[in-house]
Amino acid sequence: MLAFLGRSLVQKVVTLLFIMVISFAVVHLPPGEPSQVDPLNPKFTKEVVERFRQHFHLDKPLYQQFLLFYRDFFAGKSVSWKDGLPVLAKIYDRFLNSLPLFILGTLITWTLSFPLGIQAAIRRGGTFDRSTTFLAYLLISIPAFFFAYLLIVVVVNTCHVPVIGMRTFGLAGAGVAARIMDRVWHMVLPAILGATAGIALLSRYVRSQMLEVENQDYIRTARAKGLPEEEVHYKHALRNALLPFVTMFGLVLPGLIGGSVIIESIFAWPGIGRMAYEAILARDYPVIISELFISAVLVLIGTFLSDLLYMVVDPRIKL
Amino acid sequence: MRRALIALPLLIILFLLQSYFWVPTYEEQTKGNPERLAEYVSASIGDAQLLNPILAADSSSGTIDGLVFEGLLDYDENLKHRGRVAERWELSEVAYFYVNEEAGRGGADEAASLIRRARVERLGGKDPLAKSLENIQEIEIFPPSAREEEVVEKGAKGEKAKVTLHLTPPPRIKLTMKEVDQDLFTNLEKILGPRYFSGFRPERFVRVEPAGFAAKTTEYAQAVLPAVEHNPIILFHLRPGVKFHDDHPLEARDVKFTYDAVMDAANLSPRIPDFEPVKTVEILDPLTLRIIYKRLHSPALATWMMGILPEHRLNRAALREEARGRGLNPETMTIRQSLFNRAPVGCGPFRFRKWESDQYILLDRFEDYWEGAPNYRRYAYRVIPDFLTQEMEFYAGTADSYEVQPHQVQRLKDDPRYQSFSGLGFSYTYIGYNLRRPPLDDVRVRRALGMAVDVEKIIRYVLYGQGERITGPFPKQTDFYNHEVKALPYEPEGAERLLAEAGWKRNKDGWLEKDGKRLQFTLITNQGNDIRKAILSIVQDAWRKIGVDVRTDVLEWAVFIQERVDKQDFDALVLGWSMGIDPDLYQIWHSSQTGPYQLNFCGFRNQQADDLIIRIRQEYDRKQQISLCRRLHEIIAAEQPYTFLYTGRWTALLDKRIVIMERDASGKMRYAKIKPTKTGSYTFFFNKWIKLPEAPVFRAEG
Repeated sequence: MLAFLGRSLVQKVVTLLFIMVISFAVVHLPPGEPSQVDPLNPKFTKEVVERFRQHFHLDKPLYQQFLLFYRDFFAGKSVSWKDGLPVLAKIYDRFLNSLPLFILGTLITWTLSFPLGIQAAIRRGGTFDRSTTFLAYLLISIPAFFFAYLLIVVVVNTCHVPVIGMRTFGLAGAGVAARIMDRVWHMVLPAILGATAGIALLSRYVRSQMLEVENQDYIRTARAKGLPEEEVHYKHALRNALLPFVTMFGLVLPGLIGGSVIIESIFAWPGIGRMAYEAILARDYPVIISELFISAVLVLIGTFLSDLLYMVVDPRIKL
Repeated sequence: MRRALIALPLLIILFLLQSYFWVPTYEEQTKGNPERLAEYVSASIGDAQLLNPILAADSSSGTIDGLVFEGLLDYDENLKHRGRVAERWELSEVAYFYVNEEAGRGGADEAASLIRRARVERLGGKDPLAKSLENIQEIEIFPPSAREEEVVEKGAKGEKAKVTLHLTPPPRIKLTMKEVDQDLFTNLEKILGPRYFSGFRPERFVRVEPAGFAAKTTEYAQAVLPAVEHNPIILFHLRPGVKFHDDHPLEARDVKFTYDAVMDAANLSPRIPDFEPVKTVEILDPLTLRIIYKRLHSPALATWMMGILPEHRLNRAALREEARGRGLNPETMTIRQSLFNRAPVGCGPFRFRKWESDQYILLDRFEDYWEGAPNYRRYAYRVIPDFLTQEMEFYAGTADSYEVQPHQVQRLKDDPRYQSFSGLGFSYTYIGYNLRRPPLDDVRVRRALGMAVDVEKIIRYVLYGQGERITGPFPKQTDFYNHEVKALPYEPEGAERLLAEAGWKRNKDGWLEKDGKRLQFTLITNQGNDIRKAILSIVQDAWRKIGVDVRTDVLEWAVFIQERVDKQDFDALVLGWSMGIDPDLYQIWHSSQTGPYQLNFCGFRNQQADDLIIRIRQEYDRKQQISLCRRLHEIIAAEQPYTFLYTGRWTALLDKRIVIMERDASGKMRYAKIKPTKTGSYTFFFNKWIKLPEAPVFRAEG
């Protein structure tokens, strides 16, 4: 066990080092410059541009920039080139905004996918199964932005209520309950949209897992014992079908910081995905690299956690 | 188990959906909530970066800075200068020249008395010389005085070397003048002799030490002892009683501080080039400032439209204090790092309240604004990074205006539910040719190419009619634009004739050929702009029809700029410029700006145009400037370095309930419909806007 932990730790640190180098290179190598040194703005003379480049260390060789950046980053001192605010504080703020959306989206995904997938597996080949299959593929194939536009246009034109942003504007005078509910309402559409693709995928996955387990010998034995159908499906079959999902939960973790670029941009949600996207457009290198680094760490922690979880839930596995 | 599995999602969904009933609709937002009427909500694609007028370079920051800060002056309805924080200003000039004893006109006293005498003799004359002389108020002689100056040079091995210049200059004459006069010295040569100024040899008065650098004597001498020098002067009289939002009065030292902050290299201000021509900023009294310039530079006046910073909030002591509070180094703390940029204090009509990044910026009206507080009590700037959702928010009543996309204009501009405004933008789109490369160096070829393109059709089908044809480099709604210049006609046959004249004949495959070489080149543009891409294909098709073998290429923006434009590695390109109101075209059209990484990447060189560009940026008289600009427009249009295509037309929708409200002397309220100014700006009277509970009905005017 300890040996596994140690080995895993070393592997992950090495992986992380590689990620640091690669992500730094990926961000710096493509052509283009930070928006502060925009080459086609007549206001920016050569001297101004040169001064900015010096300030951002862009005039130094790449390896020095790499060291300088990570020195600042680990000291918690790196600042965004766009507005001079500390990167970590910025990421944390945005993380808090994305978090409720992420939790609600995950909640909807997981709570809906299981009943849907299980029912589809039990009624395999029936109308319910076929219609959920059709729906799932439909949802997977519709591009998220298109679906989002459809939903927004329909809701605004039929209900005449605002749906964009985190709250309704100019509602300062309303009561506390109304303001809370207003915030909830503003989360509904983005959360549902964020969940659709997840529901479609996960419910398919649940269905196939259930089907596989339902064909096992011990299910036949349970039926033969004369247990009620309910108990066979939900106790014997479901429990065993759940195993692979435990590991998936660990992989949900990186989604925390990834956010959703498309949905956050369309809904004007000040989340972390949108910040990363805008940072990329403005070539705000410190923000991009910091986000890449943090999500890499989360991915590594996620895989580590799922390994551990698997060990806990499945006693057959020894590491 | 089973029940829980089904009940849980149902509960969640029910809880989510019930929240709908708590959210107000468009109608309810204003009825149940009268406060909403006193708030203007605008929507923008991007968030602001730094709310500091000396540091910001993006348009969102510019919008907010324009409301929170105020400059010394701005543009009025007709795009002329108008005083704001400065009540008025006076322009004058002092000019200097060194006495040129070699010119055979004697010494300083003789030169001065020659001018004095001529001035009396020609009094009341109408010729340029008489006008220049009449303008002179005072003549002063500075006796010669030896001095030393130091220059730092790079030595043979790249090390720094100190060079001392020993100067023994001749006497200098100072002319104080009522108005700025760029022709002063040209006119004075009529009295003092034809090469009095241009024949002055400053190297005679400079001795360089160490002697190793003596080869550069002339270069040094011309820099430190210029034959003539113009020093335009602006005397600003500030408006008394202007206050910052924290009740601190705005005084001349705030203006000087703002200038110093720009010039302080540590602040990394992108405005440095704007203020580089300033020689000194002097405070004469708390409400008067004198700004002396190093040379003639008329765009300088407009640079004072930049918002004025409060000195007491950002001076060294304040920054030190802030640095200590935040655990930063008090000695290296700069304005760029200050939290002032996230919570600015200015003297504009709105004061800053709150900024949530990528969500909104909230402003409150400033009750003590010198021109009277705006009608709106609050201003909200929302960041909605998507046009469709902006539109939806406008329909839902949570944004008060919406900038219509070209394809929607037909449908929305006459919609009775909204009021709409429309005007020309300040940017234009063009096809630029690389004038260094044959055959594009031949004006007949460029003309023919321009005649082969049906620009009206591009406007009609690509822009949905939302654009206007242009013929030159100035914004069409300014007075600098020359409406007499005719656009190239759409005449493919005429184009072929012109090309035939230039020696291009069709070969048996139908391509144009000259000396066995096909007329072949590549037209490029950047990725990500669908309109430019459409133009690319239309133009390619049009040119192929007259036998030009044109290839096209669409490149990613950074590659396009760095590899092609900056390195001048292109034949022709489709691109756009966004212009300011000031008519200075130096960077884009002057022949000195044709090097790599410079903005005259097409390589336009024309002596007449160069002279005009310089004269325009040295001319302080608007009328003169207008006629010079129109002439420059003509020359550029004749040379066709660009095929000028169009300038876009914008359309904006506004909530119908927003009107102009004014109070007359007795305090009675009068309402009027919002009307755009002559130049198309509908927000010009924004401070007088207010939203009514019901859409008003105005009587027809008659």
